[in-house]
Amino acid sequence: MLREIQQVLRFVQLLGKRRQQSGLNVKGGLLVLVWTETGPSVQSLNCAVAAAGPWCIGINMKALQPDLKECMFPCACPCLPPDPEELCAFTDLYGSLRLLLTFQMKDASPEWCARIETFLHTYSLANAKIKIHFKFKFSQQTFQRDFSVKIKNKAGGNQRSLILDVTCRTQPPECVKKGCWCQGGHPVLGDRLPLSIPPAAMDQGLFGELSIQAVTLLSPCVLQYPNLPTQLTHIQVLVYGPSNVPVTGPSTFFQNLPAHLDCQEVGLHGLHCSSFKDLVHSGGTVYTVEQENCEDPEQESSPAPIRQSLLLYIFLQHSDPFTYQLSDMMATEVLIERHLEDILNNNKQAVTKAVQTELKNTLKAQNQRKKKMRSAAEVILGSSLSIVSSSSNMDFRNACLHSMKMSDTYDLSASLRESLRRVTSWKFTPKNICYSAQVEEYPESDEPTRTEI
Amino acid sequence: MSLMGSSVAELFSAIDKLRAELLNNVEVLTDCQRVEGEISHGEILSLIENVILGIVTSLSKDEAPFLALPDRSNWANISFDSAIGLRMTLGSSVTTIRSDCPSSVTKFAQILKIFVVIYKLVQSNSYATKRDIYYNNTQLFGSQKTVDSIVDDISCMLKVPRRSLHVLATSKGLISGDLCYMEEDGTRIDCRSCSAAAAVSSNIAGIRNIVSHAKFIMIVEKDATFQRLLDDDFCTKLSPCIMITGKGVPDVNSRLMVRKLWDTLHIPILALVDADPHGIEIMCIYKYGSVSMSFEAHSLTVPSVMWLGLLPSDLQRLRVPEDVLIPLTKRDESKLSSLLKRPYLASQPEWQKEMELMQQSKVKAEIQSLAAIAPDFLTNIYLPNKLRYGGWV
Repeated sequence: MLREIQQVLRFVQLLGKRRQQSGLNVKGGLLVLVWTETGPSVQSLNCAVAAAGPWCIGINMKALQPDLKECMFPCACPCLPPDPEELCAFTDLYGSLRLLLTFQMKDASPEWCARIETFLHTYSLANAKIKIHFKFKFSQQTFQRDFSVKIKNKAGGNQRSLILDVTCRTQPPECVKKGCWCQGGHPVLGDRLPLSIPPAAMDQGLFGELSIQAVTLLSPCVLQYPNLPTQLTHIQVLVYGPSNVPVTGPSTFFQNLPAHLDCQEVGLHGLHCSSFKDLVHSGGTVYTVEQENCEDPEQESSPAPIRQSLLLYIFLQHSDPFTYQLSDMMATEVLIERHLEDILNNNKQAVTKAVQTELKNTLKAQNQRKKKMRSAAEVILGSSLSIVSSSSNMDFRNACLHSMKMSDTYDLSASLRESLRRVTSWKFTPKNICYSAQVEEYPESDEPTRTEI
Repeated sequence: MSLMGSSVAELFSAIDKLRAELLNNVEVLTDCQRVEGEISHGEILSLIENVILGIVTSLSKDEAPFLALPDRSNWANISFDSAIGLRMTLGSSVTTIRSDCPSSVTKFAQILKIFVVIYKLVQSNSYATKRDIYYNNTQLFGSQKTVDSIVDDISCMLKVPRRSLHVLATSKGLISGDLCYMEEDGTRIDCRSCSAAAAVSSNIAGIRNIVSHAKFIMIVEKDATFQRLLDDDFCTKLSPCIMITGKGVPDVNSRLMVRKLWDTLHIPILALVDADPHGIEIMCIYKYGSVSMSFEAHSLTVPSVMWLGLLPSDLQRLRVPEDVLIPLTKRDESKLSSLLKRPYLASQPEWQKEMELMQQSKVKAEIQSLAAIAPDFLTNIYLPNKLRYGGWV
């Protein structure tokens, strides 16, 4: 089922890509309806994918050739059309339907809900201008989720413009009272890496130039709090095809990647791939970052570090002057996805090095700032305590101890350390690039509305 | 034997007259001149402790500590006093060095580190050079320049001379002539060697038992000129005299030495610099001080310094060949204009005239250009005549 939805999205995106060259808008709506029909013995799953809005201008459903439709859904069976009321609500928002495709799958399972939801979420992250409405009806229960991006950011190279969802979904810390908190993120465009196409893929008809473009996004953004301790807990790798549609299925290459990364160079203790279950539900490949064992009890009492996660987008790019028909382009994308493991393994060293570089560059500035503050704080504390300890001026020593309400220089040391950490951690430096707003007491949640399955 | 044999009295008559005039002014200025008293070790320690107490107090109030450094590079913080030169005004603007800002936290740490070093030096009554401080922690400081700047910042912040902080600087200046003195460690320095000059001491405050019969002191801008004069046996020919060079822009020790010689000997101090804006600026540093060290002007400046040469008017008078004259660059013209606007030039109409002459002629010349007239012109003709006939301004 995911493949079918994937194909529809590729179709719309590739058509839109052509028009993007003339500078048209890429916003619009996407509706994905999935419902069950109870037959005598086997439940079938019906799916309708509808698109409306500027992003699919130019699609002429009547002109859609039957063989193109077949090409999109080779394994699917035709099904009844969806509830018109559902479509009405959609067209009310985005205008008349430009595309409506329906298909049916055997072997219905409620697990499809989570998988489709994850897929659409992943799609939404890299196509932030498209509002997605997903509804899954299984037996008598309905799950519904709307993907509407609050904060978008453009991250584009010369080859393509990417509109990413950079909304930060982390609640700001309680300590942020009067200051501002950045509610978005700042994607960092990496270098483009050309890839060589393996012979097996070429035999299947994959030619032209293939490359990957990496983009990293660290969340939440703490640029405005440069002294705040942070802790990277997860790295998620999302792979997209040339049409910006996510590649489905777990990737063995990326699952095994941590073993080949130099974590120390990146500034991490270690990485290991999360469980398969996590992979299915979170999209892409997720790594858990191993944390440093904190042996210093003084450090443990410091303000709790802000947990961050890093999203690593891998955008596959392909160009072939001999591939210009829409059906050929879609077939090429299918080919790329099918041979993706082979392609990545064929360029293993280069891809590994590229990922290493992107992670290092993204974390470098933050790590350097932390290191700078930490080492300066040690010097400040050490110097101050050295003078207090070696002074023979009792008035001075007593004044220092009394000021911090301590009885001896040993306690004074711990107290000064904690105090310095406290006063410097929450230093706020406003940044124009941040999506700041006064922290609301009860910010709106974008959790899906659902009646649980 | 001096150059003119039996006409020693004639040779130095103008010098002696100048000295008499200066001594009259010295009596007038006695009240204005600060006799530099030693600041006690206890006072220095106390000043540093106050800074630390300030930091601890800030932390006790949950406030990020900061240090306020007087801004030593801002002309707005400078005033001109004819008796002293360029001095830092009270209540001058400060630069705030914060401990909670990534851009300034390293400097904050560096300053505190140097505070500790100074504290320990003063406590133990030992000394270290700025170079020692840097090499003890190159990773923290990054460069020698950082240490040099912070030591001066601390000196300015605490309002004490750098030597009271027990931090010494390696001197770059040289001195030669009729002068003997003893350094703090008992080393006896005799500058009367004809062939080699003595290095200016790194602990000027510790110099004792200065003995000299010199009639004048000549500040020489460049080392090249100094060496040439040394080779030509200038100090013997124009004996008794002292010559000193800071090898370009003078370091603090060279300036302190000139000041110390003035305070001790009260003899005319004459500057021999190139006839170019850079040379004039160097001469002004000896005479009036610098912006960056204005907080210590009273111990570094010698307002009685006279401009002996090379004067722009000398170039015309002596008909220095045109091919050794150098056109002023845009930078020279800009510096010359800037010098003319300096507050101290208003009290030096003769200097102004010379500088305006340079502006009009649009040429400059090095002292070495006099060699185009004759190889020994500088030592055997120019300087003796200048000294004999009072050719200074």
